Amino acid sequence: MRTPDHPAADRGARASGPAPGRDEIVAMLAGLDGRSVRDVSESIESMELAWLLHQVEQRYGVRVELDEDQYGRMTTIDDAVDVLREAIGAA
Amino acid sequence: MAGPEWVDEVLLRGPDAQVCLHVDGPVNRAALRRMVAERRARLEAAGLRAGGSLVLRLPPSLAFVANLLAGWRIGAQVALLDHRLTPFEVGAALDRLAPQVVVAPGAVRGNPLRAFADVEETTTPHPGRPAATPHAVIQLSSGSTGPSKVIGRTAADLIAEVDRYTRIDGVPLPGERIVVLASMVHVLGLVGALLYGLHAGVQVRPPERLTGDSVLDAVAAETSPATVLGVPFHIGLLASVAEPPRLPQLKRMTTGGELVPAATATAFLDKYGVPLGNMWGMTEVGVIATDLFGAHRPALTPAPGLAVVERAGELLVSRPESPYVGLSDPTRWSDGWLHTRDAGVVDPDTGLVTIKGRLDSQVSVGGLKVDLTEVEATLTALPGVEAAVVLHDEAITGYVQLAPGVSVDAVRAGLAERLAGYKRPRQLHVLAAMPRTTTGKLVRDRSVLRQAPRQGR
Repeated sequence: MRTPDHPAADRGARASGPAPGRDEIVAMLAGLDGRSVRDVSESIESMELAWLLHQVEQRYGVRVELDEDQYGRMTTIDDAVDVLREAIGAA
Repeated sequence: MAGPEWVDEVLLRGPDAQVCLHVDGPVNRAALRRMVAERRARLEAAGLRAGGSLVLRLPPSLAFVANLLAGWRIGAQVALLDHRLTPFEVGAALDRLAPQVVVAPGAVRGNPLRAFADVEETTTPHPGRPAATPHAVIQLSSGSTGPSKVIGRTAADLIAEVDRYTRIDGVPLPGERIVVLASMVHVLGLVGALLYGLHAGVQVRPPERLTGDSVLDAVAAETSPATVLGVPFHIGLLASVAEPPRLPQLKRMTTGGELVPAATATAFLDKYGVPLGNMWGMTEVGVIATDLFGAHRPALTPAPGLAVVERAGELLVSRPESPYVGLSDPTRWSDGWLHTRDAGVVDPDTGLVTIKGRLDSQVSVGGLKVDLTEVEATLTALPGVEAAVVLHDEAITGYVQLAPGVSVDAVRAGLAERLAGYKRPRQLHVLAAMPRTTTGKLVRDRSVLRQAPRQGR
């Protein structure tokens, strides 16, 4: 079941830096279905991508605008860290 | 049997100026009729005729809507392939379906978060056969054994489902809006939003993007009442919006695809103060039972005109004809009853239906049905895989034993070629040896598999 069990609780941690780091991204992905951080896969599939960008928008209070190249690169957690730093980190 | 005029009479009819869709701007009925006529000319130029066969491999988009309606208006059979299928899966499907014309994306503009893609399609003749059955729409299910099942529905069956919707208390009313998050390539978005909306005069409006803020923007964009239609994943998007604006137009959110935990429903209700409706349906039938006011959770009321019974723990739904093409399997359909493969009970006093889970290995990933046996068979068939077990453990999880020298990356690459992303295991654990019973069968107990010795990553 990919329904967040306690979605409201996800907002506990507000953005700590200009863009999310690896640990924050892993925690956001874990929030999708309540799995443990240890069980979050390195690769990011389409529904996880939508969830991640939605979570970043909520926590950082920004609209994340990515170009096609950036979307294409969002395939692993490390790539997501880089792309999100490019997209919102400099703001 | 309905002739192709049903498309005009049931779906396209209405005042020219009535806005029936809203995709990056309003689309009124006159504009939609023009789009359908234009696609009809293109499909006919590619050789499509009444009784012919068409495959649509398009993401949800105006191009998808226009080609679907045009194919039906010609009187052709239209098969829908999910645009996320890999080239390998598409090839297998085209071999199986043998369509005469294929419509596929040429250029797709924009980003993967868009609810409706901006697609310029290609329309290509294909060396296939005319439709072998009178079905208007053909869909493939994720197959439990061997090839996937081919599911067919006639125009009359689709019209009957649209009519069922009009008789369910709590559906969006004429003049209202549906903000659709569910894919229109699958039955919930296809009939529950697109066909019902066109028929009833309910504007169908995908949000610009599939994020919480964008969904709420779509609701807020007009003053008419709006129902959000999606799958449970989308409840999570809305329930985690930090500070949603007050939205008096938001009438209800309705989801199908899988059961919603009570805690999720409560969180949604607390935040938005509107009902979270629940629907149960299948590709084979469409909507079967609903609880649009969230009054009976988790129980559901059978839709008007359908009967649901429980036999030996399994829910059966009335369906006069078998929906399966080229398959005669009495364990799936017999004597007017479709076996849902859902375990459940029917309350003898109220008729309310409660679903207790699946009786087979089908799981739901974001509302898309995936049969784990298909995933396991694909994994097992890859070169270098000696044995494999696939389970659903929060997410699809694979355990494999590999031949010496075979890397897990090679296995992942093989899966990526053969299975659409949503079907692939999110976790792939390589075990030194698969646990087996004393008779040599693979052990499927997840606690045993979790603790089995790993062989590196």
